[in-house]
Amino acid sequence: MVNVFAVPVFFICFRECLECSIIVSVLLAFLKQTLGPDHDAQIRKKLVRQIWFGIALGVFICLIIGAGVIGTFYTVGRNAFDSAEYIYEGVFALVAAVIITLMGAALLRVSKLQDKWKVKIAKALEQKDSMGFGKGKFKVWGEKYAMFLLPFVTVLREGVEAVLFIAGVGVGLPATSFPLAVICGLGAGALIGYLIYLGGHRTSLQIFLVASTCFLYLVAAGLFSKGVWDLEMNAWVKLAGEGAAEAGAGPGSYDIRQSVWHVNCCSPGENGDGGWGIFNSLFGWQNSATYGSVISYNLYWLVVIVGFLVMGFKERNGRYPFQKSAPMAPGDATSESSSGVVGKIDAPGAPRAEVREIHT
Amino acid sequence: MAKTILKPLFLGSLLLSVAQCATKTYDFEVSWVSANPDGLQERSVIGINGQWPLPTLNVTKGDQVVINVKNSLGNESTSLHFHGLYQNGTTHMDGPTQVTQCAIIPGSSFTYNFTVDQPGTYWYHSHVRGQYPDGLRGAFIVHDPEDPHKDLYDEEIVLTFSDWYHDHMPDLLASFISIANPSGAEPVPDSALVNETQNLSVKIEPGRRYKFRIINMGAFAAQYVWFEDHTMQVVEVDGIYTEPADAEMIYVTVAQRWSVIVTAKNDTNANFAFIGSMDQDLFDTVPDGLNPNVTGWLVYDDTKEKPVPKEIDSFEPFDDFSLVPQDKEKLYDHVDHQIQLDMKMDNLDDGANYAFFNDQTYVSPKVPTLYTVLSTGSNATNPEVYGSHTNQFVLDHNQVVEIVLNNDDPGKHPFHLHGHVFQVVHRSDDDAGFYDASNHSAFPETPMRRDTILVRPNGNIVLRFRSDNPGVWLFHCHIEWHVASGLIATIIEAPLDIQKQLSGKIPQDHQQACKAGNVMMEGNAAGNTVDVLDLKGEISFPGPLPAGFTARGIVALVFSCVAAFLGMGVIGWYGMAPIKAKTG
Repeated sequence: MVNVFAVPVFFICFRECLECSIIVSVLLAFLKQTLGPDHDAQIRKKLVRQIWFGIALGVFICLIIGAGVIGTFYTVGRNAFDSAEYIYEGVFALVAAVIITLMGAALLRVSKLQDKWKVKIAKALEQKDSMGFGKGKFKVWGEKYAMFLLPFVTVLREGVEAVLFIAGVGVGLPATSFPLAVICGLGAGALIGYLIYLGGHRTSLQIFLVASTCFLYLVAAGLFSKGVWDLEMNAWVKLAGEGAAEAGAGPGSYDIRQSVWHVNCCSPGENGDGGWGIFNSLFGWQNSATYGSVISYNLYWLVVIVGFLVMGFKERNGRYPFQKSAPMAPGDATSESSSGVVGKIDAPGAPRAEVREIHT
Repeated sequence: MAKTILKPLFLGSLLLSVAQCATKTYDFEVSWVSANPDGLQERSVIGINGQWPLPTLNVTKGDQVVINVKNSLGNESTSLHFHGLYQNGTTHMDGPTQVTQCAIIPGSSFTYNFTVDQPGTYWYHSHVRGQYPDGLRGAFIVHDPEDPHKDLYDEEIVLTFSDWYHDHMPDLLASFISIANPSGAEPVPDSALVNETQNLSVKIEPGRRYKFRIINMGAFAAQYVWFEDHTMQVVEVDGIYTEPADAEMIYVTVAQRWSVIVTAKNDTNANFAFIGSMDQDLFDTVPDGLNPNVTGWLVYDDTKEKPVPKEIDSFEPFDDFSLVPQDKEKLYDHVDHQIQLDMKMDNLDDGANYAFFNDQTYVSPKVPTLYTVLSTGSNATNPEVYGSHTNQFVLDHNQVVEIVLNNDDPGKHPFHLHGHVFQVVHRSDDDAGFYDASNHSAFPETPMRRDTILVRPNGNIVLRFRSDNPGVWLFHCHIEWHVASGLIATIIEAPLDIQKQLSGKIPQDHQQACKAGNVMMEGNAAGNTVDVLDLKGEISFPGPLPAGFTARGIVALVFSCVAAFLGMGVIGWYGMAPIKAKTG
């Protein structure tokens, strides 16, 4: 199954598509709200069309960029990666684990994302005179096509982000493992976005998000552990040379000095052990665990636990633990750029306050 | 770099030796000398009396041989083993260290003194861990005034084939038995040699019949040997005369000897190449630029060119199993005692690769096994006194013993038994698996006998011999790497008879060697003399690899699972919290 479904890729697509669809759903809801039945149906139809056109063009450009990246990767990069496979796989697994971790926290706050975008759109439309899209002719154009530009830019940015993440995460994965994961990820993201648009039951949605985030973190913990394992394996293969490769899953395939457990079976790398491969990509299973892989796995969870406890504490108390109660720094609330993923997590409380302002 | 070595043996020496029971005395000072036999790299090698290649010892059946060895190496201990000699009554002269003697430490001397009562082609080499490939190896020829084939040839020529390493064995061994070599890939030789050189010219008289005594003195590589446009007639293997058998190509494993008669052509129109080609199947990887072949020439006419060897399509060597001993000794059809040896390669918990008989890798005992025999009285018949790492088998006197060896390894292995020749009653093809006593091809009526036999990859061999030679004899793979990694069994043959022969007769210099090397001479394998069944203090050795989940693994796995569930719990706590905050 590893060969046909890359779990990290699925989650990246899911996450990016969800963000896009939330923005789109917010826009559509906004149009529905502001251009209600009493407004000109003609204008509304035109604006809706603008939104969809913006999405379509954004997706199209992303596809081109993606194709370019993949093309370069498989023609130029692949050979370079082969020679130091374990290093690249290890480093990218670590990077992927970090990315997924940061993304996952944001996923739990999708509802906030929705609120945040409502603020942004409102700002963009209401304050266009002061902020605007530029001067003169361009400004007028920007005003006229705001409903095109917003989804276009959003999709483009999320899409490029997804392409780059996938390229990073997918270094060690066979090309065959991408399509299904990408399609499923996009589908799931769009579906959740649609559910949000419909305004489904928020609690059940939250349960779903929590469940999928837990899953995401299991994957990330596994990836983190595998990253460390890969780097250790690289050192072992360098030391043992041919012999390590020949040994399969048997004695000599691992460094006994680092071994915490080793079973001569159930190797995720072996062909025909497909089940263990899934086990590996979901939970980081290794038939040959090392001190590094075990400690890093537990360390990962420790950091995640502490991180969430701190964030939860801050959300409830408006300050970090061991910090004196203080007025919130103004900068905290302006986590506009979603490329600053950390910003999203760091400022969960602030946008909600703004939303309330708008609604009142 | 072409050397010409002309060593036609004087047939006259045969005549001289009619004066029987001569004593041949040699003084060997073993020391480092410098040599460059393949023209690729000068290196230090172990020489004798300042010379290398080593002298060929020519003795006559019935001779008493006295060799005074002085170790002047300075940095390595040594010993000498006379490969193939039965040493009947003189097992303490056999040579393997920690088995029948203590090593000769630098600066000390040691005398080997024994009577040779068997004709044939033999060789002598160091039997200290992995030492002989550094050079300490030479031919040992026992001439026979009553050679049944003496009318078939006019002249004898010794040809030694061998592999050659540019690095020294101690360094190679350190990297071979190492965590960095988990698959146990043996170091690949750098060159092949014939008579310790290359491009050897052998002067040939037209029409004359030559008996080539071919010895593989290598560490590792078996060699295919053939003479272009000349047929060989096999007349001896490992000291056993055979019915003459024609062969175009022979496969000589390390430590095997073959005497073949080659009849020279009647004209001198051309010279002919002969080739030794290392069996590259043995090599884990064949390095770029390795020349697996060594070439020599039958030179009929010095002025004519020495032709480049012709390419051959495939190696199709003569099967020695089909040979018939000249004395037509019948198959021992009643077996009194069977020894089954299942061999494999595996890793121990130091990460290195070792070789095993019946799941046990050989480790030298603290007390040389022969001295344990001599110091444990009636307990000498109890295998336990020989320790837990020596793969020991105690045999009664004058029984027919069968060794069944199952090769559970995809490599070829030449097995050698000290002190005996054995009947080779069965040898399977590749991948035949373990020997099945109820389902095998019919045994030959007059099986071939020899002292070193190839077992094929994942195949098996069945050998029989009579325990008529009291002594401590090793049975081991003669690939020197596998000797070091423990592919050795110890046969303790008629221990009470050994005591009768040798009690109180171990020469002073043998005892001196132990004292000088601080090696215990009494007691069981652990050196315990009071309770010889108590092996406390025995040499310790890496244990087997931990199997699967040990306590440490289980703790780690449980801890990881707990961490994951705890983490997901916290995520749930955080994830659900804002909803409550909002709705509440």
